[in-house]
Amino acid sequence: MKTLNIFILVLCCLIAACSHAPDPIRYGQDACTHCKMTIMDKRFAAELITAKGKVFKFDAAECMAGFLKENPAIAEDVKSVFLVNDFSRPGQFADARKSFFLRDSSLSSPMGGNLAAFLSLPAAEAAKRDKSAEVYDWSLLLSKNK
Amino acid sequence: MRSLIVKIGLLLVMPFPAWAHTIVVATGTNVTTIKQAVALAKNGDTIRVEKGTYISLNTIVDKELTILGQNQPVLDARFQEEVLTITASHVKLDGFIIKNSKTGSMRDFAGIRLSNVEFVTISNNTLVNNFFGIYLSNCKHIQVLHNRITGSDNIENSGNGIHLWKCKEILLNGNYVTRHRDGIYFEFAKKCLIENNFSEKNIRYGLHFMFSDDDTYRHNTFKNNGSGVSVMYTRRIAMLDNTFIENWGSSIYGVLLKEITDARIEGNHFIRNTTGIYMENSDRITVTHNDFISNGWAMRVLASCNKDHFTQNNYKGNSFDVTTNGTLKEIYFNDNYWDKYEGYDLNKDGTGDIPYRPISLYAQIIEQNPQSVMLMRSFIVNLIDKVERAIPSITPESVKDEKPRMKPWKK
Repeated sequence: MKTLNIFILVLCCLIAACSHAPDPIRYGQDACTHCKMTIMDKRFAAELITAKGKVFKFDAAECMAGFLKENPAIAEDVKSVFLVNDFSRPGQFADARKSFFLRDSSLSSPMGGNLAAFLSLPAAEAAKRDKSAEVYDWSLLLSKNK
Repeated sequence: MRSLIVKIGLLLVMPFPAWAHTIVVATGTNVTTIKQAVALAKNGDTIRVEKGTYISLNTIVDKELTILGQNQPVLDARFQEEVLTITASHVKLDGFIIKNSKTGSMRDFAGIRLSNVEFVTISNNTLVNNFFGIYLSNCKHIQVLHNRITGSDNIENSGNGIHLWKCKEILLNGNYVTRHRDGIYFEFAKKCLIENNFSEKNIRYGLHFMFSDDDTYRHNTFKNNGSGVSVMYTRRIAMLDNTFIENWGSSIYGVLLKEITDARIEGNHFIRNTTGIYMENSDRITVTHNDFISNGWAMRVLASCNKDHFTQNNYKGNSFDVTTNGTLKEIYFNDNYWDKYEGYDLNKDGTGDIPYRPISLYAQIIEQNPQSVMLMRSFIVNLIDKVERAIPSITPESVKDEKPRMKPWKK
């Protein structure tokens, strides 16, 4: 019985290890998969978890979009998880598919994409500074990067 | 009559500042802040600030003034605002201690901000604990000389030491930058000269170029930064006579080159870095007269690079001279000194008679299987490398130095 308990415990641990939980970004240490820059800025960092559970970290949403352009299979897979930082709450991951992306020249995101993600559309609209600023959703952002 | 002519003559010869005033700022006098002094001043005046500590909550300098600190007066923003913003051209700011700018995620607060100006000189200042140190946006013909800039070393609340955005023809000379995010950061900054600076222990890069063309950096030292220098998405950068030392750790490089073209890398020293030069998507780069000494990887050249030339360099004491991740095309090595070269020189012309292959078999194995690094310096690794050197079969045929030097290049 005791061995069975231990077995179940170990099994649970293994299953937990396989989960699609986001891997916290170690700011100042982890490097962006796409541009190789060290990830520093909590407002812009992004993360991608593939269907198999492999985690890729990015310093900016534009880098994740660039990476997905080169890996369309991951982009199209519905099981892939795309996470971005909510610009109004840095350090909190939001689902990129449900987020709105503001492209505004006053935002200096790490890779010059001038992109910030917001969980709510009003928040994105409220953060507009530049007249030519635009708001995209996730699929539009990907198609813009093509 | 004669004396009148002399007087008129003198008036004509006298330069403009003859009418300029000097306004003294000191505690306990009528003028106790730079803000008051700026309000009193006219273009061309001088403001002299006596020793003391002054609260400066974003003092705006909007006139053409010379502002001199006597015995290093302190301007303190107490983490509430920026310290000083210069919005007029022809300003000179010299000899201050500038500290404690606000930090925060919504705006880039700076110690000294220059915005849309020309012909400004910032010299001999000490900046301590600011979010961004010196921030230049949309400026031309600026000199930043002999400043000491120390950040907070806080990962979340560190901006760049010297930050340039949309600038042209800027001179950075003799500055010391430490504990910031990037020591020196260039975004859309063109035709700038960076010389004799020392950048160490910055969290990310010692020097970082993004979309900045036609810049030169020379005689700088980059020590123990997150990653020495990163040059990204730029054209025609000259990197001359710099020292890259002890930039050490995983994914840390002396120089990281990404999508750049037509760069010159000459006369630099790469000493004890994890990777001396890392190159990705970089075309038409010439690497000459450099020393690569005691690095883990002297160079990592990815297969996406084209038409790069490596000549007359010294490679000494590196664990790996060159590695790559695929098939290198149009990458040329010539006339380099490799300490691992075991060839001979029967005709005594100073170059070896058989080519040297800088990519070892073991380096190729590590590329496929990083864990095999634990076999490093083992007997079996030495054996397979020796066999491969004698009868090359797996290492890329195209990557070789036809004329390896027998003795190191001297400078």
